[in-house]
Amino acid sequence: MPPSTLAADAGTLRLRRNTMLWALTAMALFLVSTLLGLFLRLFQGNAFPAVEPVWFYSSLTLHAIIMVGAWFLGSMAGVHYLLARYVQPSSTASELAMGGSVAGVVLIAISTLLGKFGVGWYFLFPLPLYPNGVWLPWATAVFFAGLAILAVFWLIWVLDLLRAIARRYSLSVALGWHILRGAKEPEVPPLVLITTVSLVVVTAALVAAALVLLLFLLHWSGRARVDALLMKNLTFLFGHIIVNITLYLGVAILYEMLPAFAGRPWKTSKLVAIAWNAVLLLVLFAYLHHLYMDFAQPRWVQVAGQTASYFLSLPAAAVTIFGVLALIYRSGFRWTMASRLLVCGVLGWVIGGIAAVIDATVAVNSVFHNTLWVPAHFHTYYLMGVVLMVLAFFDHLSRELTRPDTDVRAAGWTLVLLLAGGYGFLAMFYYGGATSVPRRFATYPEETLQGVIQARVAAAFVVVLFGTLAVYLSRVAARCLRAFADCRNAS
Amino acid sequence: MTSARIAACLAAGLASLWGQSEVSPNQPPNEDLYLYHSVPDIAVQPVGKPATPLSGLWRDRPLLITMVFTRCAGVCYPFLRSLRAATELAAKPPSGYRVLVLSFDSRDTVSDMKAAASGIGAGADEDWIFATAAEESVRRLAEATGFWFRWDGEKRQFDHPAVLLAVKNGRLVRLFAGGRITAESLGSVLRDLDGGFVPSYPLADKTSFRCFQYNAATGGYSLDWGALLLVLPGTIAFLAALLTFRPWRRRGARAPFPAA
Repeated sequence: MPPSTLAADAGTLRLRRNTMLWALTAMALFLVSTLLGLFLRLFQGNAFPAVEPVWFYSSLTLHAIIMVGAWFLGSMAGVHYLLARYVQPSSTASELAMGGSVAGVVLIAISTLLGKFGVGWYFLFPLPLYPNGVWLPWATAVFFAGLAILAVFWLIWVLDLLRAIARRYSLSVALGWHILRGAKEPEVPPLVLITTVSLVVVTAALVAAALVLLLFLLHWSGRARVDALLMKNLTFLFGHIIVNITLYLGVAILYEMLPAFAGRPWKTSKLVAIAWNAVLLLVLFAYLHHLYMDFAQPRWVQVAGQTASYFLSLPAAAVTIFGVLALIYRSGFRWTMASRLLVCGVLGWVIGGIAAVIDATVAVNSVFHNTLWVPAHFHTYYLMGVVLMVLAFFDHLSRELTRPDTDVRAAGWTLVLLLAGGYGFLAMFYYGGATSVPRRFATYPEETLQGVIQARVAAAFVVVLFGTLAVYLSRVAARCLRAFADCRNAS
Repeated sequence: MTSARIAACLAAGLASLWGQSEVSPNQPPNEDLYLYHSVPDIAVQPVGKPATPLSGLWRDRPLLITMVFTRCAGVCYPFLRSLRAATELAAKPPSGYRVLVLSFDSRDTVSDMKAAASGIGAGADEDWIFATAAEESVRRLAEATGFWFRWDGEKRQFDHPAVLLAVKNGRLVRLFAGGRITAESLGSVLRDLDGGFVPSYPLADKTSFRCFQYNAATGGYSLDWGALLLVLPGTIAFLAALLTFRPWRRRGARAPFPAA
């Protein structure tokens, strides 16, 4: 039987305090980044005709980095806390990651807001090396320094979590290989299985990031002329995996939390083990769907990209959806704000996942490539997927640690407005993609002026979303602050 | 090795990476290192005209600059002739352009440059400007664009590459290096200057770590060294996992849980 509460068997005061701090940080960054997103859609809606487009691109860069970084860290904090039920991760590694993340984000904010660095999160080679008077030349170095700091400190945290798992489980047990062979013992929770898969893969992503930075340095110093195709491969190996694994860490939280509301256990079955080992096998190749338009890549690589994209997403999603439904069905499921967020998060994952698979089909991608369909799908499984899952964790844990009064009606309205604002905003992205509106355009040319109206409608939905989030997150943040203060006083 | 020694080695390695090798001996300038950089607004003395800053030449239309010396027994005149021929064949952009032939040899006089202009048949062309400049100004321009020249006392000649700098509004938009320029190459430079679409650029030689090699004869691909770098992150990740979990360790050695 799963533990009914998160706080009851949670670790030390230090762990709780750190988790609350991560929650506050992630939520604050989320609100800032949502405001940046609103600015971007308003800009595309021609709301700021006097503002130079360079501000659109630098804001776009900052928005993406903050959004991905905040929820990668938020999901890591959630997994760290929940893993402490089974293993002993180091709080020091989490604190180091906090320090490194603050330093890295500050540097990236300086490079984008003061240096006007606006090449996008993917900093595609060789663009960052050619400021051309658009951004200040030092901003490139500051941006890369920020990224390097993030990569190093995140890697330390990732490796520490792996170390903690390794102290109790062998690699084959952590990956559920004994279950694949038909054994039932030893029991390995899905949280441990999914986290192990995710952490191994995210290590590869962070190494790829380090490699990209090193090759940039080599090229910039004139020591070597670096192959642009290699750089693009490595950049998306890093970027795609970070986003993908953030989602899977959110799913790991889902597997651990949902049983508490259903009153039923969610064990690692053979199907669960197969699905997540398929992720381990294929996730390193799925990024290739970002390079379908790169004709210099051989055809067999493109085929591998489409195959990996299909078989990566389908088994894990199917097993999880089936598991969620089976867990809820006739269980007397407790519908709290957190459990609703978790279920809505699965819905976002499914919708975004289907849109992603559509776009990962070569024949479709040749039409949808670099249209608004792309941000449509990743915003769906991110904003309406993993963000809701991690918010569910923060909401539930802060509630358990502080025991506030529950306003059921307010929770219901919050969810309705959150979904209306979120899906309304996303619908404009999908519609834009279907009507060939390009992504990453600060202003639209005459041929795609329909994008202006779509951006204005989207901005209205973002206002609803932001307003709801501001009210809801301020309540969660107040509980987190109280819990943080309680932990500090108690220690 | 102590940690201090390791740190010192790492620092030395990084320092050697950091130092930009902007001027490679006997190599033409690397376009990547100078593209979009500002070109210094030096003063030049054109043949038959009053002295002017370079900005006076690039203010109303793009400017192509090549640097030569009139006593050159090597690449200068063949390059100038190929450039002259290419300008006659390549389509002229609507905005037009000027060509500045600037001497980097302090011995060259205005009359030397006038003779050079006549020698390649550009003496009467208003869009071709032959000029000299102060030694210091030439040095500044050379440093800003990667151009280099060295006196070879034995041959009594300057050793230098042949380059064409394409400048628009004071910024270097293209840098062509080579002994001869064709109308096609010049056409691509002019399209860039005019903001036109250039479908592809010639790939630089000696590109490191290519992922694949393409065989135009067979239409097939083969893996190259860069492909190894592509599998490196995954390999390191799985090695890190193996080292962390150490599957060869005895099972009994695993820490019991929950700890006290």
